[in-house]
Amino acid sequence: MNATTTETMAEERGREAARGAARSVKGGKGVDWLGLALPWGVGALFLLGWDLSVRFSGSDLFPKPIDVARGIVELIRHGLLLKYVVASLFRVSWGFALATMVGVPFGLLLGWYGRASQAFNPLIQIFRPISPIAWIPVAILWFGVSDAAPVFLIFLASVFPITVSSMAAVRTMQPVYVRAAQNFGLSEWELFRQVIFRACLPQIITGLRIALGIAWLVVVAAEMIAVNSGLGYLIIDARNAGKRYDLVVAGMLMIGLIGLGLDFLVRKLENFDEVRWGYANKA
Amino acid sequence: MIVWLVGITVLHGWMNLHLFAHETGGKGQYRFRIGFLPVTCHLTCPVTDFINKQQTGTSMFDPVRFNGWPELKEAYLSGYTPATFILAPMAIALREQGVRIKIVYLGHRDGSALMVRKDSGIHRIEDLRGKTIAVPGRYANQRLIIYRELTARGMSLDDVNIVEMPPPDMPTALYSRAVDAVTSGEPFMGQTELDGYGRCLYQAKDVWPGFISCVLAVSEDMIRDHRPQVQELVNGIAASGKWLDESMDHRMDAAKFVSTLYYNQNPRLLSYVLSKPPDRVKYTNLKPQRANFEEIEMLGKAAGMLKGTAHFDDYVDTSFAPDDDKVVAQTYEPKRQ
Repeated sequence: MNATTTETMAEERGREAARGAARSVKGGKGVDWLGLALPWGVGALFLLGWDLSVRFSGSDLFPKPIDVARGIVELIRHGLLLKYVVASLFRVSWGFALATMVGVPFGLLLGWYGRASQAFNPLIQIFRPISPIAWIPVAILWFGVSDAAPVFLIFLASVFPITVSSMAAVRTMQPVYVRAAQNFGLSEWELFRQVIFRACLPQIITGLRIALGIAWLVVVAAEMIAVNSGLGYLIIDARNAGKRYDLVVAGMLMIGLIGLGLDFLVRKLENFDEVRWGYANKA
Repeated sequence: MIVWLVGITVLHGWMNLHLFAHETGGKGQYRFRIGFLPVTCHLTCPVTDFINKQQTGTSMFDPVRFNGWPELKEAYLSGYTPATFILAPMAIALREQGVRIKIVYLGHRDGSALMVRKDSGIHRIEDLRGKTIAVPGRYANQRLIIYRELTARGMSLDDVNIVEMPPPDMPTALYSRAVDAVTSGEPFMGQTELDGYGRCLYQAKDVWPGFISCVLAVSEDMIRDHRPQVQELVNGIAASGKWLDESMDHRMDAAKFVSTLYYNQNPRLLSYVLSKPPDRVKYTNLKPQRANFEEIEMLGKAAGMLKGTAHFDDYVDTSFAPDDDKVVAQTYEPKRQ
């Protein structure tokens, strides 16, 4: 497949996507007001339902949305929110980066070399379903309660999805790329770097998206270890503080919102030319 | 990606690890970490740290706050915290399993309660039959009180349903009727009273006078290699205990600074449990006594918690603990408005 064909297919996909979006905009004015209003409307309904259900239940323990908002303001005023967000992002960034550095090349190798897969796959499948929470005692014994322990837990949570998706990407890759590349006399290293890796990139990115979601998901469990910062710590700490469930929910909300932002950023990766190359070839 | 990793690492180091802050004093001295939980049983730990810092600008140890017993125990086993406040039966069980641990002082006396809902029909121990009771853990001394009280009335642990639950979750569990009764150290029991739905079935001080839940334990390696520091630690904890029991003003001072700086709890909660009644929890008479521990050993074995293979001399080192009448209270007096 030459570059011209690839570009043509990518452009065609782009045009089709644009046509689809235009169809969904009534009147074709360019701004999808309904598309913008829908999520905000659902969000507002959710908040209203939450508020009413707390009021009707008469619970003075579970907070109303306004209590959570006040809790977030309190955290900001005390300078804690930014500190905790930075701490959690630090741990997730390192855990996820290490998992990517290990998982992607390892998964590609396992996908390419059948014997390696035969050797390692059973072990991976044994480790993969073990919850990071189960690793907490081991993490403390190995790393104490320094930042290394939560980073290790986040690494564990994300390395297996990355490895498995990379492995699957190689296996489902169209063999014609490899045969063409071999006809050009590419060395094995060049074949890996220039063809296999690039062809697999869309699936790897999908794996990374899933893994980042999981990494962010386990931040609460990872910060149950006696670290003294982070959004997970905020939740655990608020449980110690008596009736501060407003802070518990504030921590949950911040984790959710930052998770949304992280997913948005990873999706942006899909717009890079290197990744679009792979998508085009899948088309 | 690399720029992000470097950036977030620098920010984390600056904002949370205080890597760029200047250290004040204490350089070159042996410093160690000490594990504790945000409960009144461990109050002397943050009080000692706070008073040391107020008086000398530094503290000989770094208090590390945990949120649950398993993490606290694992941090001790890993060597991360060579000293720790820990449940007495847990320390004994660790010793039975060959862990090099020695109890050097008590954390407190009394300071536990069993709470039921105000509107429940539970008014006597006998009413607990068939009910679900939450305890802090397998090795919690509160479990031993239940065992002691049930057997005194011809009942057994099989007559109740015991579940393990982290103490911070107990008030909510009682409020939502997830359990019928909760028992742990303070301030979580007092919280149910303060919030208006809990009623005390018994205070530990009334059913088991001089009750011990938590102790200060250190590793045998620390005793071997840093004996003066262990002595200094015990002296500090003892002096803080005496200071806490010296006046109600001191207790209220402690409630304020410990709640704010160490426990992240509402100061009103600690003020409540440290004053209502004043003998709800006590911090004097903390030298380990053989008879107390032999009773715990005996009950622990009978209740199936302990094997009975470790005895007082195996897991206690009394050489650091001063006699109560020789303990001198901390001299700290905060400015009061």
